[in-house]
Amino acid sequence: MFDWLANPNRFKKITNKLEPSLMAIALLFIIFGLYFSLFDSPKDYQQGDAVRIMYVHVPSAWLASFLYLSLAVSSIFYLVWKHPLADLISISIAPIGTLFSMLTLITGSLWGKPMWGTWWVWDARLTSMLILFFFYLGFILLHNAFERKVDGSKSASVLAIIGIINLPIIKFSVDWWHTLHQPSSILRFDGPSIDNQMLLPLFLMMIGFCLFSLYIIIVNVKTKLIEKKCEAILLKLNIKEFL
Amino acid sequence: MNSVYSNWSNIFIAHVKRDILTNSRSLIDLISIVGFMILIIILFPLGLGPIKEKLNIVSNAVIWVGLILAIIPSLEKLLQKDFENGWLDQIATSPIPLEIIMLSKGISYWLIMLIPLIITSPIFAILLAMDLKNIPWLVISISAGSLAISLIGLSGSALILGARRGNILLPILIIPLMIPILIFGVGVNEAIKINASPYGNLFLLFAFTLIYLVISPFISALLVRIAIGR
Repeated sequence: MFDWLANPNRFKKITNKLEPSLMAIALLFIIFGLYFSLFDSPKDYQQGDAVRIMYVHVPSAWLASFLYLSLAVSSIFYLVWKHPLADLISISIAPIGTLFSMLTLITGSLWGKPMWGTWWVWDARLTSMLILFFFYLGFILLHNAFERKVDGSKSASVLAIIGIINLPIIKFSVDWWHTLHQPSSILRFDGPSIDNQMLLPLFLMMIGFCLFSLYIIIVNVKTKLIEKKCEAILLKLNIKEFL
Repeated sequence: MNSVYSNWSNIFIAHVKRDILTNSRSLIDLISIVGFMILIIILFPLGLGPIKEKLNIVSNAVIWVGLILAIIPSLEKLLQKDFENGWLDQIATSPIPLEIIMLSKGISYWLIMLIPLIITSPIFAILLAMDLKNIPWLVISISAGSLAISLIGLSGSALILGARRGNILLPILIIPLMIPILIFGVGVNEAIKINASPYGNLFLLFAFTLIYLVISPFISALLVRIAIGR
């Protein structure tokens, strides 16, 4: 199955069809999600309107960790099967993950100032998210640090796989250490502990963010494919100065 | 295959000896690492002010952070010289497993660079006004954690092998990996300060060291193979 999908031409053919509708659906979900989260959802009885930050904060935190997982998985694919498309996918994921982890930290501190009375605490969840940000940053920097691009791709893939160790720490940090960050209220064994009226906009935003990042990844990968083709043409024509 | 190559412990000991010999010929690396450590330690009393109570509170953490920072400049050279003169190429084509060589690199780096820091650490502790009852535990915790630090450093230096401006990249890549060592290493002495048992943190520190002892040679060997392109 992966062989079938991993053909760059087939990838392009499928994504060309998928791309515009993906963008439209993602925007639709985000617009509806924003409407529900900003206007048509109840205030929290303790937090008031500040709870609305959560509708951006939680999806971006989930996506930051999920994107790291997919980054690591595609790095494994790259290292084991050495398919160039896997490397293009991981370097396309990395900047988006960086931005989402940054968004998580920023929205979290905006929420933390009125609620906890501080912009930042050295809580396990916050610190591990910051480390995730640095893993993304390290991946991008290492990827671009080599003369031969293949070396950078391989070394960065190894780094990405090492960084997986951080993901369970992020997920379970609120259970292992009794910290200031509240434990999860959605992904738990006894069902979600938040009200359906709040769950709806959260899931709309979640799906919207997912589709949006998928769209950006596809655009990035296609750009990188075109870049590679340009490089190959320039090499064939023996034009060195553009490389 | 020659019987010399099949005996891995012989190879291991021979390479540790080789590294110690080549490094003992010029002590400039050792002097610079200890000097850097002392200067980091000196900066803190100057920055915080020479009040003993304040220094006592931070002393434990400062020594650990100083240890991590002090070895970073020397890590860049750990594999670079052998990579550039082709020695690693030769080893990778020979029947000797590269993992054994990487393990010996990590151990010899620990012996050469970190043992001096462990020996001098009581002096740093006294400079930072640490309580006397904490000093033996500081030495124990640093001895346990420093091997893990040098093994992480080994993987880090294999990661940047052949990279442009690798020395700038190295701290960003390896400091996140050293955070667990720092947390549990500092935890040993913090437990002593509140009269609790330090063994929980100490055993976790040993566990991390053992985990890195197992995985670091394999990761480093993989990265070296990537760097030399085979």
